[in-house]
Amino acid sequence: MLDKHPNPAFYPLLAALIFMAVGPIVLMLANSFKLDVDIISGTSGLIFLPTIQNYETALCDILWYKPDHLDFCQLKFGGSFINSIIIALISTVLTLVLGAMAAYALVRFRFLGRDTASLTTLLVRMVPPAVLLVPVFGLWNNDFCIGKNTSFGEFLRNIFGGRGDVCLEGTHSGIILIYVAMNLPFVIWILQSFILQVPRSLEEAAKVDGAGTFQVFFKIVLPLIQPGIAAAAIFTFRIAWNEYLLASALADRDTKTVPILLVNNVSEFNIEWGVIMATGMLLAIPPIIFTLFASRQIITGMTAGAVKG
Amino acid sequence: MPEIRLVNLTKRYGAIEVLHGINLEIKPEEFTVLVGPSGCGKSTTLRMIAGLESVSGGEIFIDGRPVSRLEPKGRDLAMVFQDYALYPHMDVARNISFALRLQKRPKDEIARKVREVADLVGLTDYLSRKPGELSGGQRQRVAMARALAKDSSIFLFDEPLSNLDAKLRGQMRAELALMSQRVRKNMIYVTHDQIEAMTLADQIVVMHNGHIQQQGTPEELFKKPATKFVAGFIGSPPMNFLNGELVDENGEKFIVGEGFKILLPDDQTKNQLPTNRRVILGIRPSDLHFDPHAPENASLNLKVRVSEYIGAQSVLLCDCMSSSVTVELKSETPVALGGTLRFGLRTEALHLFDQVTEQTI
Ligand SMILES: Nc1ncnc2c1ncn2[C@@H]1O[C@H](COP(=O)(O)OP(=O)(O)OP(=O)(O)O)[C@@H](O)[C@H]1O
Ligand SMILES: [Mg+2]
Repeated sequence: MLDKHPNPAFYPLLAALIFMAVGPIVLMLANSFKLDVDIISGTSGLIFLPTIQNYETALCDILWYKPDHLDFCQLKFGGSFINSIIIALISTVLTLVLGAMAAYALVRFRFLGRDTASLTTLLVRMVPPAVLLVPVFGLWNNDFCIGKNTSFGEFLRNIFGGRGDVCLEGTHSGIILIYVAMNLPFVIWILQSFILQVPRSLEEAAKVDGAGTFQVFFKIVLPLIQPGIAAAAIFTFRIAWNEYLLASALADRDTKTVPILLVNNVSEFNIEWGVIMATGMLLAIPPIIFTLFASRQIITGMTAGAVKG
Repeated sequence: MPEIRLVNLTKRYGAIEVLHGINLEIKPEEFTVLVGPSGCGKSTTLRMIAGLESVSGGEIFIDGRPVSRLEPKGRDLAMVFQDYALYPHMDVARNISFALRLQKRPKDEIARKVREVADLVGLTDYLSRKPGELSGGQRQRVAMARALAKDSSIFLFDEPLSNLDAKLRGQMRAELALMSQRVRKNMIYVTHDQIEAMTLADQIVVMHNGHIQQQGTPEELFKKPATKFVAGFIGSPPMNFLNGELVDENGEKFIVGEGFKILLPDDQTKNQLPTNRRVILGIRPSDLHFDPHAPENASLNLKVRVSEYIGAQSVLLCDCMSSSVTVELKSETPVALGGTLRFGLRTEALHLFDQVTEQTI
């Protein structure tokens, strides 16, 4: 229990903690609205004339108008931002759907090799992504291709263009696939423990009420493991959003994600701090929104799920 | 209203057989109670009928149709679970209407049905609450309402009252009895409480160690138990058992045991009982009465150890030499603790069991 009158030293400590946590973000936010000259001079602190120029520069490729200060849209941030969102969202959704169903099967159905399957899913997760990089790169480039001479490959090439075989490499699907594979074991593992807590008699009651296996899963089990799903969603989305190594190898110019774009940009000669701050802010927004949304689900799920009492 | 028939129903878990060939017939509109001690296989039997447990051998017929390979969905039955198994994420109305919604019935029909059953079990004011916000008794009613809403012709209950406190249990038992008269359905009710069994059942099935010991009306089971087990299980306080020997003296039959020699009434002697046989004498506590002047050959001399006052009746725990005997009598009867008193018995209400087979003689 908290004391009614905490130690006076408590407040400065709290303030220091808040400053450390929020300070860098505030600094980044402030700088993202400054011109480069203001940032580098460093004198003005929080007193400056705010401008959205940096954001305009960052998003120039998807703006509907042409910003005055730019002659040429060099940074393709908008495009990779959209790539990131597509890849992170689709891979999260796929991982959750597959993971929840696999976890349910592992917990509830008895089949040959169940325990082995359950254990190996987690072991797979222990393999560092870097180890996967080389074989996956090879496979995506050479094996998972639809030959340019087959009719389906021709059909695809007619639609999307390109010259060689149609391969997974450089496509959204290729990156999504590897993210799903990477996150699935952990999601299965987390959700298993949530599913174990759903009382069996609930599922039996639903069956007697006339539900089939899928209805039991979607109408009873899924709503009850909602907190677990939300936690797993935050986890997978965050990883997919931030992942650099695999994406840098598997993405091509059009499917680049934001982390890759940022790294490439920082290393260039002329570092535009303001633009980097703006892209940093933009990069931070989707995970924050996503986490806020998902954690709401965790809380409502926890209060709704009181089974016994 | 269907007829349910279990033929040689067997259940094995791995190498262990827990049900050894159950044969049972349940007539339409009958309230059948499966009763027996913990672990005897009541729940297993019920769950096999429901389709929640696979059948290892034998067959279940509903209206002559074999159903043991069907999913629960295909058997048209409703079930009330011991822990109620209410869906915690749905409010009461949605809990009740779950089965109907799965059947994709029209909305107004569902609403009407929910109101109707909620009315029947007295839940109308709680329709928008979640199960977590209800008391134990109210949850029990929701479970009942959910089963009722389904309109199935078979109703299964697995110890539905065992999670309630004694008073509420009595009240719900009475309500259940009322409800079972109103909705004439096939009901199968599992309990280990013989009072529930006696008050609710049209037919009681007593199970023990995966076998059916006896089935019959409550009265049959009480008056003519087929085995010592049934005799000891049905009735409260339970029947007293005393070891003895059946002897013939000048054409009259006596049960002779440690500290007693009881003359059997004529009608029983007629059954040409084999003499010199080791038997168990069964006496219900209520068939003993305090009577200092009772004849020697129709009484027991008991040393009263404890007297349990339970209102109008008292239960005396007594010793008859080395065995213990309970007696139930009116509380106003003057009884001195520690003294040895004579209790007369109704010899026509005696039960005799074989000591080896424990079957009724
Ligand atoms: N999954 C299982 N695996 C192995 N044995 C089981 C399993 N389920 C039940 N049993 C055994 O089957 C027997 C019957 O169990 P059942 O649940 O039918 O008893 P019950 O009569 O309902 O008892 P209670 O009154 O305690 O509920 C028990 O001896 C139990 O140990
Ligand atoms: Mg049971």
